[in-house]
Amino acid sequence: MMKQRKEDIEKEVGRTMMLLEKMESLEVHHLFRVRLMQRIKREYGGELNTVKSRISRSLDFRLAFVILLIIINFGSAMISLRQNDSKASAGISEMIDNLSDDYSSTEFAYYDQTASSPAETMENQAP
Amino acid sequence: MHMDYTGLATIAGAAKSRTLQITGMTPNEELFRNLVAEHQEMVINTCYRFVFNREDAEDLAQEVFIEVFRSLDGFREEAKLSTWIYRIAVTKSLDHLRRMKRIKRFSSLKRIIGVEDPAEQIAAPSADNPAEVLTGSERGRILQDAIGKLPDSQKTAFLLSKQEGYSNQEIADILKTSVSAVESLVHRAKKNLHDKLYAYYAQH
Repeated sequence: MMKQRKEDIEKEVGRTMMLLEKMESLEVHHLFRVRLMQRIKREYGGELNTVKSRISRSLDFRLAFVILLIIINFGSAMISLRQNDSKASAGISEMIDNLSDDYSSTEFAYYDQTASSPAETMENQAP
Repeated sequence: MHMDYTGLATIAGAAKSRTLQITGMTPNEELFRNLVAEHQEMVINTCYRFVFNREDAEDLAQEVFIEVFRSLDGFREEAKLSTWIYRIAVTKSLDHLRRMKRIKRFSSLKRIIGVEDPAEQIAAPSADNPAEVLTGSERGRILQDAIGKLPDSQKTAFLLSKQEGYSNQEIADILKTSVSAVESLVHRAKKNLHDKLYAYYAQH
C-alpha cells in the first residue's frame, strides 16, 4: 500500500517534469521585429533626426566632464602663472634691493670694521 | 529612418555574428535589424522557459533588445555578443519572476485583509499554442511553482540546459562560471525539483 503510494507519487513527479521536455519552441511572431523597431524609433529615434538633438546627444556627459576638467586645469594654470609673474618681478626687485643692501648689512659689517678698525687702531697707536 | 546606433558599427566588427553585414540604406539600422533577426528566437524561447507564457516572453524579449540597443556602447567584448544578449535575457526573466512573486504576495495579502484585486477579475488569455495549453494546465502551474522555489543559479542552469541551442559551455559563459559548476547546478536543480514535486504530491 505504502509502496504503491510512493510509486504513484513518483509517476506524478515524472509526468510533471516531462512537461519541460515536451515544451515546444515558440515561433517568433512575424511582427515582433517590426514592433520592436517601432518602439525603439518611438522611444529613441523620434527626436534624433534634428541636428540640435544630435549635437546634444553627442555631447556625452563624460566628454563634458573631461572638458570641464581641462577648463579648470587651464584656468588654474593661468592664475598660478600670473601670480608667479608678479611674484617673480617682486622677487627680482627684492633681490636688487638685497644686493645693494648686502654690504651695509650686519653680516658684512665685520669687513667694514676690520678694514677700518685695525688701521684706525694702528693709526691711533702710531706716535 | 535615421537612428543613432552609436557603437554598433564598432561592435559589429568585433562581435562574431555571421550575419552582421552592412547591406542597405542606413548601415547601423541594418546591423541592428540583423542582430535582432539572428537572436530573436533564442531570446524569446529563453524568456519563455522562465515565464511559461508567450505574451510575457515576447514583452521580455522586447525589453532585452531595447536594453541591448541602449547598452551596446558598454559592451566590452569580454564575452561573445550572443552570450551577452542571452545573459540580459536571463536577467530580465529573473527580474520578471521576482516581480511576479511580489505581486502574488501583495495580492494574497490583499485577499487576507479583504480588498478585491481587479487584476484577478481579468480572464487569462486564451492559449492557442499546444505548449501553452500544456503549461497552462494545473500540472504546468505546479511545475512552475516548484521551479520558482529553486535558487536563481540552479533555476537558470536547469532551464537553459532544457533549451535547445545552449551547450554547457555557453551556459557557463552566461552564468560566468565553469562547465563543471553548471553540471553540478543542473544536477542539484533536478534533485531539488524532484523533492519539491514529491513533497507537493505527497500532500495533495
